[in-house]
Amino acid sequence: MRRYTPYLLLTPALLFTVFVLVYPMAQNLVNSFRDVSLVREGGGWTGLLNYEHVFGDAVFWLAFRNTVVYAVVGTLLALLIGLGLALVLDMNTGKMSSVAATLYSIPWVISPVVAGFAWKWLLNDHFGILNYWLSSAGIARNGTSWLGNPHTALVCVMVARAWQFYPFAMVMFLAGLQSIPAEQYEAASVDGATQFRKFFHITIPNLRPVSSVLLLLGVIWSFNDFNMVFVMTRGGPINASMVLPVLVREFSFVHFDLGKGSALSVLIFALLVTLSFLYLRVLARREQA
Amino acid sequence: MKRIIAGVALVALLGGIFGLSCGRKEDAVELQDWNFGGKPRMIEWLRHRIDAFGQTHRGIRVAQSQKSWNMIRELLYADFSVGTGPDVVNVHANYAAEFGGAGYFYPINAFPDFQEVRTWYVPHLLESTRYGENYYGLPSSGIAFVLVCNKELFDREGIIPPRTWSEFREAARRLTKDTDGDGIVDQYGLVLLGGDKGGFAYRLIPFFLKAGADVMSSDLKTVLFNSPQGASALQLIADMYQVDHSITPGFLAYQLTEINDIFCSNKVAMSIEGPWFRGMVDDKSPGKKIYTVPVPVPDDRIAAYDTASTLQDMVMYSINARTKHPEQAWELVKYLRNEEADMAWIREDLGAIATTRSALGSSEARNQSDLSLYVHELAHAKPWPPHPGMIAIASDIFTPYTQKAIVGELSPREALDQAAREAQEMIEGKR
Repeated sequence: MRRYTPYLLLTPALLFTVFVLVYPMAQNLVNSFRDVSLVREGGGWTGLLNYEHVFGDAVFWLAFRNTVVYAVVGTLLALLIGLGLALVLDMNTGKMSSVAATLYSIPWVISPVVAGFAWKWLLNDHFGILNYWLSSAGIARNGTSWLGNPHTALVCVMVARAWQFYPFAMVMFLAGLQSIPAEQYEAASVDGATQFRKFFHITIPNLRPVSSVLLLLGVIWSFNDFNMVFVMTRGGPINASMVLPVLVREFSFVHFDLGKGSALSVLIFALLVTLSFLYLRVLARREQA
Repeated sequence: MKRIIAGVALVALLGGIFGLSCGRKEDAVELQDWNFGGKPRMIEWLRHRIDAFGQTHRGIRVAQSQKSWNMIRELLYADFSVGTGPDVVNVHANYAAEFGGAGYFYPINAFPDFQEVRTWYVPHLLESTRYGENYYGLPSSGIAFVLVCNKELFDREGIIPPRTWSEFREAARRLTKDTDGDGIVDQYGLVLLGGDKGGFAYRLIPFFLKAGADVMSSDLKTVLFNSPQGASALQLIADMYQVDHSITPGFLAYQLTEINDIFCSNKVAMSIEGPWFRGMVDDKSPGKKIYTVPVPVPDDRIAAYDTASTLQDMVMYSINARTKHPEQAWELVKYLRNEEADMAWIREDLGAIATTRSALGSSEARNQSDLSLYVHELAHAKPWPPHPGMIAIASDIFTPYTQKAIVGELSPREALDQAAREAQEMIEGKR
């Protein structure tokens, strides 16, 4: 009996996982090869037709490009901010450091929907505080439309996303910084290294594993991010900030073509799994070397 | 002895629970009513009306829930496609084609007293609920899209609401200005609801109709909005945006609440809206005055100013085709939309226009703001063509292409031709 106890204890969690994760994913995969529409009678199996339709859709390629930019540039921006603040906090200026760490972490604990609305109002062309500040400083005209301009909408959403993600990067970098042996810096000082050289030859190499994990997580999370874009722009104006998760929703619940929506979500999943796999292999090889 | 007493008590308890639950099922039929959108006053009125229905119809219990108008199609399709959903729901009348055609709405002309009920309504308004041979709902609110003008800004500039396109363009130009002298424009002539794909099409198409363009041929087989008249309407708006800069630069991001905000704070002078807008303005800025006038016509059609069509929309109450209680649902729909209920649309500003002959002909109707304008515009307004793909064409094809033309990414002619080509493919089932 004792032999089976662990399995028995695991069963509820496994069943739950199968029910809420494995089954929907399998059903989604099946749907991607079928004509599933909420609007009309489904036409059964269609082979790769849904995938063909996705690749033939001009908005898909625009959304793909936007998603890559949003995920990669947004994550890099968040990492840069996170690293900068982690370095400041690592100076350990007493009580101020813990207060600052708490304040800097606030964006991470705010719901993405609430954050999206807050940014939307912050960037509002008529009542937004950003325009007020920028026009007071003579940098931009009051009334500049950030979210209504196809050239700036994606950048704004990316900045908002970076703002939400940087606290996580900051905490991870801070942990990484505190684990660097002090002897390395002492030895460098004895050899007469400048702060600049210490940073690039000791700090950055030591933070590489943390940076790699953060980059991977940031790209995956941003690739799947629906809330921020949907709340701030809904993929507009004129699809200028359309990203793949919002497009899945468009296909599935605006056009009601669940087959096409499923095909796109399978593609996103496959892409992310492949990316993660390749990245982890590269990482493993580097560590072995 | 204790055991006997405990046993009797247990049996009595179980019997009571069983009896109560069975009794409930037999006593009353439960209906689900979903109400989409509406002003707070309208929602409150509806709640009272449903309570009153419960008092007079003891065998029917109504569970009402409030839903967002922005999610209407997603929610209805998600539920209807799996055979569930509310028994009674309020929707756009042009859903008669899409949902009625798909078999999701109950044909109310199947009820024996329909012929009598239909006499309550203004005939052409009731016709909006028809698709093919069937009627799929009772009219709830007639909607005509009109030009809403900020009276304070018009009076300050000493101008009156425009009637022709050149007056409209000139008014928008004059009302676009730097009011505080800091060298930056802070007041614009016109705003459009650009952040809502469906809502944008509803506000742009009245210009097409006023110019004499049609959306689709009467046999619903050919797309016609790319006619020369349609192109001239789109050119007007594109010129106002690109040449005159009299449309708010950020209109592509606006939802209805933002339009209301900038209208009420005097940052914009005109918008294309419907009967809900006066109430929205009044809620935000009590006492603020507005002019409501027909959407302007091209200069060479000024003779048709009083008769040129605008877009007609309508809200109707429909019944789920799969309801288990069609008779009771019909009773509820009639109660919510009968002549007595419709008088509330006249007596209170609920953001809706009455649709029954008796309410519109009542002496109290003469006192209601804007009613005569809406009734007049509705008399010759055109609804979206009753094609099942029309809503998708308007939102997903017409809107993005026309928005590209307005901001200058495409010429109006190119935009409309490309949109028409894609819409035609959709009609022919190639997309």
